[in-house]
Amino acid sequence: MARTVKRWLVLLTTVSLLLVNAVPAAASPAPYESYNYNYWKEAVPSPDAYLPKQTISGNDLGIGEFKDPGDVNVSPSGQIYILDSGNSRIVVLDADYKLLRVIEGFMMDGSKESFNTPGGLFVDEEDRVYIADTGNSRVVVLDEEGQLVHTITKPESDILATNFQFQPLKLTVDRVGRVYVVAQGVYEGIMQFDEHGQFIGYVGTNKVERDYGEYIWRMLSTKAQRAQMVLFVPTEFSNVDIDSKGFVYATNIDPGSSEPIKRLNPSGEDVLKRFGYFEVKGDIRFRNNPGPSKLIDVKVLGNGMYSVLDATQNRVFTYDDEGHLLYVYGGKGNQVGTLKTPVAIEQSGDHQLVLDRGKSTLVIYEPTRFGASVNEAVALHYQGEDTEAVHIWKEVLKLNANYDIAYIGIGKSLLMEKKNEEALGYFELGMDRKSYSVAFKRYRREMMKEHFGTFLTLAIALIFIMILVRVAVKWRRRRQIDREAGLH
Amino acid sequence: MKQDYIKFPLHLIFHPIEAFWDLKSDQRGRLTVAFGALTLTIIMMILQKQYAGFLVNYIDPRTINSIGEIATVAVPFFLWCIANWAVTTLMEGEGKFREIFLATGYSLIPIILIYVPMIIISRFMVQEETAFYYLFNSIAFFWFMLLLFIGTMTVHQYTVIKTILTMLLTVIVMGIIVFLGALVFSMLQQLYEFGYNIYRELIFRT
Repeated sequence: MARTVKRWLVLLTTVSLLLVNAVPAAASPAPYESYNYNYWKEAVPSPDAYLPKQTISGNDLGIGEFKDPGDVNVSPSGQIYILDSGNSRIVVLDADYKLLRVIEGFMMDGSKESFNTPGGLFVDEEDRVYIADTGNSRVVVLDEEGQLVHTITKPESDILATNFQFQPLKLTVDRVGRVYVVAQGVYEGIMQFDEHGQFIGYVGTNKVERDYGEYIWRMLSTKAQRAQMVLFVPTEFSNVDIDSKGFVYATNIDPGSSEPIKRLNPSGEDVLKRFGYFEVKGDIRFRNNPGPSKLIDVKVLGNGMYSVLDATQNRVFTYDDEGHLLYVYGGKGNQVGTLKTPVAIEQSGDHQLVLDRGKSTLVIYEPTRFGASVNEAVALHYQGEDTEAVHIWKEVLKLNANYDIAYIGIGKSLLMEKKNEEALGYFELGMDRKSYSVAFKRYRREMMKEHFGTFLTLAIALIFIMILVRVAVKWRRRRQIDREAGLH
Repeated sequence: MKQDYIKFPLHLIFHPIEAFWDLKSDQRGRLTVAFGALTLTIIMMILQKQYAGFLVNYIDPRTINSIGEIATVAVPFFLWCIANWAVTTLMEGEGKFREIFLATGYSLIPIILIYVPMIIISRFMVQEETAFYYLFNSIAFFWFMLLLFIGTMTVHQYTVIKTILTMLLTVIVMGIIVFLGALVFSMLQQLYEFGYNIYRELIFRT
């Protein structure tokens, strides 16, 4: 009997030992760490906003491997255009990532023309495809059947140098057909062309960051030394996109810039809102990585949100219209979902696509519950539906209790409903001092109105008591003096 | 009691020139008051970090450390007294160490008097009014500097220029003391390491 018990005990122990590791610790399905910056500029872990769903390579589509793909764009009708630069072709997919067609070239003046290492493309609302044909120094505009509409070649203008080489890299097109081109070696800004391909001028210039130490050094140097020094020229833009209101979003890769993302209004001024706790420039603190983010692509997502692609750490940063960092995903690596040499970011429906030149694949990311909730709440807030956003923000807070923007969102909604005291708590949690001040001002006025009577009564009573006390003291003193004088 | 411990310090901060002289010549200064002022200043610094209103309080609550706070006020305070004493001894100052200590301690009183109401009021301020908070904090600081200046001048019977020179020298000497202290500390550490290494060599070689 005792033996059986013993045997059972041993068996139980063995099984329990085996089962200790049977349930894995809650593992993240993402191959990268997601994080966000808190008020103190520390990167704190955050739930994943997007998870890799699948990757698509040329072989998956049955058309041979992509070679150095350069850009990806989704047309307003939902077709995905991948610019396969090395193979000089454009691969068109439908919204379900099935191959539709391949554009190898076009007919011009009766002869067949092809592309030469094109750098970027854009599809406008009428499904016209604009291709920055870098190697051939032109921008090619094709209609939806692949017929040539016109080309934009090297512009003739007084403001251009005679030996100017027109090498378009990236482009975007606004609603009326004006083309914004980022060209190689052009420091003056983004080149703007009208709908007929006539050069209009430049918009938006990156300012030169002045280094005063260098400036003094330059003053002390001789002419020969100065000639050997590096020239301080503004950095080039790296990419452009356009939002529904016609504002051009542009990125540059200047490592020292605190404003690498610009939102240019029609007159070329930067009107990006930067109301967040820290600068809108990707990573703000570098743990063990080589320096600031190098933003190489920007995608406007709608509802004021935009995503930028960082080529230093291969991550995607998404901001809302006020410049708050919403979430970060992606990373370096060889797994599905991590990136080797990302070059372009796009959005297709609720998926985000990142084109990876290093692996010659298109990576498709799908929003998680957290990411989708954030997107929805930000959209509602942008549309002014703060009350409806509140319950989504509460959902977000259940998934990430450190999400400052959610606290601020709830606070703002409470402020709208004149619940000033409750709003105070939320603004304090979200560290939003500006809104806290507004709420506190209202709350203080409310309190004053409510308690003004009590306050005044107390004050009058206090003054009255003080007068009484003073009179009593005086009276007593006089009595004492009188007594000492022997008057009583 | 009340005369020496409350009325005189309050009189001093408003009439520093004559009061510092009284402090020196009539022995009106009390060490208790100077120590009390130092303690209260440290407490005010801690209270301000902890309890100042949200709109003016930019301190990360996780970094608040009372011991650190004590060190950041008390160490410069004593360093100042010692350095000032060292400098003025060489520069024909008439002040004794006790007088320097008293003058420095009494100078801290405006900081205490201004911080208390400001901490309370800052909790009822909105963003536009925070300017007053910063203004009064600056006033407290400049008042302290003014008292310290007049105190040094009176205690040592210096001229204005000589006082300014002495104060600058004092700051430099404070730096030198810190440097020497760090040097001695590092030397001692190396000495200890050296001895410890010899000891280890000996016990492992046998």
